[in-house]
Amino acid sequence: MAKLKACLLAISLVVACQIALAQDEEPEAPPLQELPREQTLILQNPEGTIRNPGWFNLWVSGAGGGLSTGLQQLMMDTFWYIDPNQGIDGPNYNSLATGPAEYNDDYTEMTVRLREGVYWSDGVEFTADDVVYTVETQMNTPGMGWSGAFSQQVERVEALDDYTVRFTLNAPNSRFHSIFSVRWNGAWIMPKHIFEEVDNVLEYDFNPPVGLGPYTLHSFDPNGDWYIWEKREDWDRTAMAEFGEPAPQYVIYRNGGPTDRRLIEMRNGNLDVVHDLTPEGMFAIVQQDPTARGWFSGFPYAHPDPTLPMVIFNHQNEKFQDRRVRWALTLMLDARALSMASYRGAATLTAIAIPPTGTHPDDYHIPMQEWVSNFTLEAGGQAFQPYNPDLTLQIADMVRGQFGDQVPTDEDEIRRAFGYGWWEQNLEAAAALLEEAGFTRRGNDWYMPNGERFSIRVMIPPDGVINRLGTMIAQNWSQAGVAAQVEAAPDSWDRQSVGDFEVNIAWSIETWGGHPDLSFFLDSWHSQYLAEPGELQPARNWQRWSHPELDRIIEEVRRTDFYDLEANIELGKQFIQLMVEEMPVIPIMSYNVFSVVSERYWTGYPTAENPYANPVNNWANSRYILTQLESTQ
Amino acid sequence: MFSVFKDLLRYNTEFAIGVVLVGVVVVYAGLSFFSSVDPTLMYTVMPDMAPSAEHWFGTNSRGQDMFWQLSFAFRNTLVFGLLVVVLSRIISITVGLVSGYLGGATDRALMFVNDIFVALPIFPILVLFYFTMRSDLNTVNLAFLMACLGWPFDARLIRSVALGLRHREFTRHAVFSGMSARKIMFEEHLPYVMPIIFSTAMANLIWAIGLEVTLAVLGFTNINIPTVGTTIYWANNHSALVVGVWWWVVIPVVLIVMLFIGLFLLAVSINEYIDPRSRLRRMERA
Amino acid sequence: MRAYLWFVAKRALQLLAIVFVGISASFFISHLSPINPVEQTLGRITTRSNISPEAIASLRAALTDMYGVDEPLWNRFVNFWVRFVQGDMGPSLIAFPTPAMTLIQRALPWTVGLLSVTVVITWLVGNLLGGLAGYYQNNRLLKAFGVLAMGVQPIPYYIVAFILLIVFGFVWPVLPISGGFAMNVRPGWTPEFVASVIRHAILPATSIVLVGMGLWFLGMRALVSNIITEDYVTYAELAGVKRSRIVGSYVIRNAMIPQLTALAMTLGGVFSGTVITEQVFSYPGLGTLLVDAVNGGDYGLVVAVTSVAIIAVAVAIFVVDLIYPILDPRIRVE
Repeated sequence: MAKLKACLLAISLVVACQIALAQDEEPEAPPLQELPREQTLILQNPEGTIRNPGWFNLWVSGAGGGLSTGLQQLMMDTFWYIDPNQGIDGPNYNSLATGPAEYNDDYTEMTVRLREGVYWSDGVEFTADDVVYTVETQMNTPGMGWSGAFSQQVERVEALDDYTVRFTLNAPNSRFHSIFSVRWNGAWIMPKHIFEEVDNVLEYDFNPPVGLGPYTLHSFDPNGDWYIWEKREDWDRTAMAEFGEPAPQYVIYRNGGPTDRRLIEMRNGNLDVVHDLTPEGMFAIVQQDPTARGWFSGFPYAHPDPTLPMVIFNHQNEKFQDRRVRWALTLMLDARALSMASYRGAATLTAIAIPPTGTHPDDYHIPMQEWVSNFTLEAGGQAFQPYNPDLTLQIADMVRGQFGDQVPTDEDEIRRAFGYGWWEQNLEAAAALLEEAGFTRRGNDWYMPNGERFSIRVMIPPDGVINRLGTMIAQNWSQAGVAAQVEAAPDSWDRQSVGDFEVNIAWSIETWGGHPDLSFFLDSWHSQYLAEPGELQPARNWQRWSHPELDRIIEEVRRTDFYDLEANIELGKQFIQLMVEEMPVIPIMSYNVFSVVSERYWTGYPTAENPYANPVNNWANSRYILTQLESTQ
Repeated sequence: MFSVFKDLLRYNTEFAIGVVLVGVVVVYAGLSFFSSVDPTLMYTVMPDMAPSAEHWFGTNSRGQDMFWQLSFAFRNTLVFGLLVVVLSRIISITVGLVSGYLGGATDRALMFVNDIFVALPIFPILVLFYFTMRSDLNTVNLAFLMACLGWPFDARLIRSVALGLRHREFTRHAVFSGMSARKIMFEEHLPYVMPIIFSTAMANLIWAIGLEVTLAVLGFTNINIPTVGTTIYWANNHSALVVGVWWWVVIPVVLIVMLFIGLFLLAVSINEYIDPRSRLRRMERA
Repeated sequence: MRAYLWFVAKRALQLLAIVFVGISASFFISHLSPINPVEQTLGRITTRSNISPEAIASLRAALTDMYGVDEPLWNRFVNFWVRFVQGDMGPSLIAFPTPAMTLIQRALPWTVGLLSVTVVITWLVGNLLGGLAGYYQNNRLLKAFGVLAMGVQPIPYYIVAFILLIVFGFVWPVLPISGGFAMNVRPGWTPEFVASVIRHAILPATSIVLVGMGLWFLGMRALVSNIITEDYVTYAELAGVKRSRIVGSYVIRNAMIPQLTALAMTLGGVFSGTVITEQVFSYPGLGTLLVDAVNGGDYGLVVAVTSVAIIAVAVAIFVVDLIYPILDPRIRVE
């Protein structure tokens, strides 16, 4: 027995040593056991466990390093930020630039004037040379984050003096500045004095990172679950200082785990900001933790992101070539069921292909309401108007039973929260459309013109709101006689980009939110980028749809001034009408994020009443929130 | 056979409890045959309602009646488990009897293979299968796979019994009278290993259902088919426990634990019946 | 001694056979998919648009060895093994271009640590209590423990771990529920770090111990209640040998030997349990890595983790097998 025990003890010792050894190779961090909680803000990083935690070179993506670990929010900087909500002082921020981009008359030159007195976190001054280096390095090194964008568009970049940069473009582009405008992220400026010492930029881990933001890296988990950032002593030598001093001394971004774990950790005081919850989790946390709240103080709680969950048909699949088939599939959907299944009624529906968030309702949804209401389809020789403008009011009435007073009663408020209407489910019209397209029905089952059963594989992510939405869509279709089967794929985004799907539930439309210009997603829909079947489709025309009218709109956007709002809105309306006529994707609703904040340690977060920023904390734009926080202790 | 069952039921409390526990779950699963509810549909009833006279097991956040949903889930899970058990019995009986009766090189070769199968960590291998087969990994395929991985323990047990039978008088008589090896194994020896087969079948059922639950909970099976595992998968997906829809998790867990304990008690008591020594001793001490 | 060496050699051969068969099986299983992932995977990687040509070449080589169409299956099989023996499984996809082996090396100590500590505790405590329960059959406490062991033993690891998570993380939040150690503790041989690792291991370890202990308890109890009917125990009792000595030296010791063989046979199952428990508690081990790899569509890494798991279990069995004859007096006499 003694021998056995000795043996087993020896084994466990060896194992313990191995653990210690494995940890030894990790970086130097000052040993500090307790961070003062009242000076620390803890946020959830939705990227989960970072598999290559020591990688901070975010100009080389996909290396397993994290982005929203705090790295892009707290350390990086570039010329401009565009807030999807109102912004502290309007949605357009000048960060490293002192004013908006200055184009010449034919949009072939862009001049940027830089802020003076901004320093890197290692004490070196930021100048135009850093910008020139950033652009030239990425142009000369294929495979970096913005290599493609820069080498295609930039003829040359030069520093006119220490604080002025001029870009000369290969072709006119009134949207070139958007590369340097942060919406989630942007083309971050590289520290020339660090990277010029490096032999191979692609293999450099940039650890510890040097940045222009008000924080520096304090320490991180060698297993990739948390990152701790500390406020710079010279935070006032950063561009963010203009908007105030960031309040927390320490900021932690940590892996929140599954929904239940996030909820538990927030209730236990170990998490101040949760990136996203399930709808049920949201309803529960506000009951269990009186300090917790969502974007809206009551129903529907969630922050509407300028992102548009939709049904994406693969247009390179022969099943979806006919506009009548796509419309028939649209008319089989019951928007009430979709809203209840995905968001428990807390969805903001949209019938048109623009997310109903930020400034878009005023620019598009309200002005277009009449046109959409009068839109007429013809099926089986009969004309009808498929739009039901009151459908969202009915949903509000449905959820009032459960949520009572929390549901708004004012019609305008209801429409802002629940949407402006959707297509009414119409199975007869759908059947008529399918029959016109040569489909036949036996019993309740539809058969395609080639005699095969009309079946659809609906790809969905394995969990979350989109998963539920997709399950309900498939259910609607199969009840209407289409053999629809859902397929939960954890790698659905990868499969989407190589076209390995029939129908995917995801989104290919994302907008600025605070600006009516659509180029952010629309430019990539031009047929010039269309990939062959089986090949990689660059973001974001994942439906692989092309149309001459679409190309015309895109080309016109390219020649229109970014700040000419009226012209942009006019082009946007043309795009919307084309999308309704053709229905290449079925827009459903905005992506409402249940981001939750706890006011136990900090107050002053952005909310629907004070919408000065997007609360969703993996967006780099969320950094401005730190200047508005106040400690409660 | 029936009298044995009656004896066990009367004198062995563990067996009786086991029969009751398993019986309750099986009958409940059987109710699904009389259900008019389509378990794949969502939002057919009001979601999130606590157990009541109308909905005995409450309703879940997907708007499904949990009584019928779970009835289908247990039916599917049990059918799956039984499929694995039957298939793996076929393999383990064949290997065990052949190995035990023939002995020699055949025995050594079979047991060598057996040892390899015993040593393989099954869960990562099943995950690998899921990863490459994805939607092709349906219930039948999965059952077949698990049968191929789940036989070695029991084959070894059956072999040890068969090994003893080989030297018994009646085997020799059979050999002299010109009976074929196949006939000896499956007609003469099989009845002797039957009790072991029953007791290991229970253990195997526990094992099969347990693994299915685990794979499904992680989302590594077809999540559209209601099983005990997918029920918990969807409950987690809607954070049922922390938001207070406890019946969505607690009821299936209670039922599955009942089933597991019931099966386990059956296995133990049948085992005890086979090995009378421990039973005698217990009667002495009592 | 020669007999022991012969025994070791035989076991080593078996170890090699298990590893060879298991890993070869992984290779062939990964071919069941009708999809050839080479171009698809490379396509996905190039979406991330940042790749050094060497890294792509290395990924292409690894995937081509596994799935490439230009070579016959047999050649690819040989190439796969040649690379594997050199410890090269190609770069991972989820942390491209970090080698898959680097990720595994980071995760392996956590799994091995959790596995070995829990197996030792489970086996020793389970057998000790089981032995006592078998001998003192009328002890109420031990009887109660028997009922508990019987109740918990058949429940799947996932369910037990999940219940622990809810009870000690949510209902009565006293223990950490995720990760290997606390935030802001620096890894190293410091008391803080060790204490933190232990605290974080409590719940995952408890779930494994709870499920596993019942098996040993019940097995040992049955074994011991058989042994005490043997003549030599009766003689010892009649000869007035102290009861504690009978239990320790005669009864439990003899029963331990078959239980050690049984241990070797259950290690594969315990390993599966560890993998599942890790997943519930986000423990930074192989199980979490495996699930990440599946969700990230990382072919090479899934095969690599499975292969390493097979090796880990085979080696553990080998170690237990080596201990076994040392304990068995019949072999020592030789």
